[in-house]
Amino acid sequence: MTIQEAGPARPEARAGGARLSMRTRRALWVWGFLALPILFYSVIRFYPTLDAFRLSFTDWDLMSTPEFIGVENYARMFGDPHFWQVFRNTFAYLIIGTPISLVLAFTIAFFLDRVRFAHTFIRALYFLPFITTASAMAWVWRWFYQPAPTGAINSFLGQIGLAQIDFLKSTTWALPSIMVTAIWAGLGFQIIIFMAGLRAIPQTYYEAARIDGVGEWGILRKITLPLLKPTTVFLVVFASIGFLRIFDQVYNMTTNDPGGPLGSTKPLVLLIYQTAFSSYDMGYAAAQTVVLFTILLIVSLLQLWIMRDRA
Amino acid sequence: MATITLDKLVKSYGKARVIHGIDLEVRDGEFVVFVGPSGCGKSTTLRMIAGLEEVSGGEIRIGGNVVNELDPKSRNIAMVFQNYAIYPHMTVRQNIAFGLYTTKLDKQEKNRRVEDAGRILGLTPYLDRRPAALSGGQRQRVAIGRAMVREPAAFLFDEPLSNLDAQLRAQMRIEIKALHHRLGTTIAYVTHDQVEAMTMADRIVVMRDGHILQSGPPMEIYDDPVDVFTARFIGTPSMNILPGREADGRAVADGDGRLLFGIRPQDLLVRDGAAAADALELTGTVTAVEPLGPETLVHFDVAGQQVIATAPARAVPEVGSRVSAQAARSEIHRFDRETERSLGRRR
Repeated sequence: MTIQEAGPARPEARAGGARLSMRTRRALWVWGFLALPILFYSVIRFYPTLDAFRLSFTDWDLMSTPEFIGVENYARMFGDPHFWQVFRNTFAYLIIGTPISLVLAFTIAFFLDRVRFAHTFIRALYFLPFITTASAMAWVWRWFYQPAPTGAINSFLGQIGLAQIDFLKSTTWALPSIMVTAIWAGLGFQIIIFMAGLRAIPQTYYEAARIDGVGEWGILRKITLPLLKPTTVFLVVFASIGFLRIFDQVYNMTTNDPGGPLGSTKPLVLLIYQTAFSSYDMGYAAAQTVVLFTILLIVSLLQLWIMRDRA
Repeated sequence: MATITLDKLVKSYGKARVIHGIDLEVRDGEFVVFVGPSGCGKSTTLRMIAGLEEVSGGEIRIGGNVVNELDPKSRNIAMVFQNYAIYPHMTVRQNIAFGLYTTKLDKQEKNRRVEDAGRILGLTPYLDRRPAALSGGQRQRVAIGRAMVREPAAFLFDEPLSNLDAQLRAQMRIEIKALHHRLGTTIAYVTHDQVEAMTMADRIVVMRDGHILQSGPPMEIYDDPVDVFTARFIGTPSMNILPGREADGRAVADGDGRLLFGIRPQDLLVRDGAAAADALELTGTVTAVEPLGPETLVHFDVAGQQVIATAPARAVPEVGSRVSAQAARSEIHRFDRETERSLGRRR
């Protein structure tokens, strides 16, 4: 039964101009509100994404008309050792960065949850890096990493009689050094999310376990971690995507030679940026983007599948 | 199995004292129900027995040993919580077995205990399901099962039925009582529901503001409440309390009297005709009637005060009409108006 059927019998309903059924009117409102974001995303996000697939099969320097060249971009990319180095770098950020940052974030959240003294203040300190501009943060860390006497870390190493480390100038140390900054930058957000997850676990679960004689470690393993799984899944996916798209920390910490030394810190996004806006090789950049898109898709789906709830 | 002894037990949060040195002895195998309004300290007392709250003063002894400084796990007690506290990520079997997490029993014995508990509680068909697939009553039975498998010296129940609907609550009352009969374990049970207290307890402990007002078998508390609060808290509907005085050994309602008379609605009967010589007669205008089936509750107004009386099922007086109700002398509880302490009944 709808209002429409009852409508003609009620003159005041007609006078109000409400000839449409309740259902239609509601749909109009809903779509009215949805139209703007849908339009926005279609034009700004979805269309360029789809267009990238088309462009990846062309040769285009922004000025000329794109010229169709088949899979030549992909052939060139897969035959290029530089691409594979960047590929390895990207996965290094992902595979080392995600677990370290999540374990750190959980540990801090777990203990911070029990700290009453200056709780809000400490939490704010941890959150601060997350809202700080990446370039400002990167410059501070660059200063840390300078050789002595400028750099704080090397000065300290010198004082206790240890050898200097060429953090950002070494092909071995540059990537881990940048990763530390990246982990630190994302930590605050992950801590907040973990703490919200911890707070959502009812206290009586812990009390019941204490009465049953389960120790701290048992409680953590059998109760806290399993009940925190939805939070963890969210953060694993979120952090993975973050590390796969890492750009600003790398770019800002290696401004003289972005992605250097010798491309040892260069992630995919930076490679794409350089291909597109330094070499103006748009077709090739689009092909690299398609690869990144595919990796992101596979990694996210894989994680959701692995950590799915089997219940 | 064990006795539980509270000796001048005190609990303070900072300067605020919430339990004021209570004494209580729960005998081996006894089913004791703590009852009282919110904030009376009954749950705090239970949590101190469990070891979830620190003791601020006095002693708790379980089976003769002082347990003040013992961890919950060393007290050999099991607790069932209002929100069940069963783990959503484990099956019923795993939840029940979780009670044995730290024991050194072999796998076979653990399994046997879990199966036994499942059978006793009627959970056998559900052992491999998750709690999400169970009803509230079944979930609470899982929680009881987890407590049972440990074969503790005492069970502690913290408002275990408060999250259930009325029908399930009535059923679980019987089940817990039957379980106590079968296991014979000491039980300390906290509730704010006086019906649960009356129906299940061997002994009721009425608490208010961190004090024990009265402790005794249900019928003793019902028949001889020590003060107005206990009198009104136990029994439903609540006891009528009216100011009055005594003249020639007869109770007379009087707004300026130095006594308070307490009459249970069940003892105040609506009837016509002359009252017995020593009975109390109240007359007023009917403001509401509640037919319950076997009887009817009649609310009427006596000198500005609401009184509830009982009428036979089919003799329902009309709202607005005048009625008289009588209570026999032996059914009238007398209280001091100043102290609200009981002065007993004249029999």
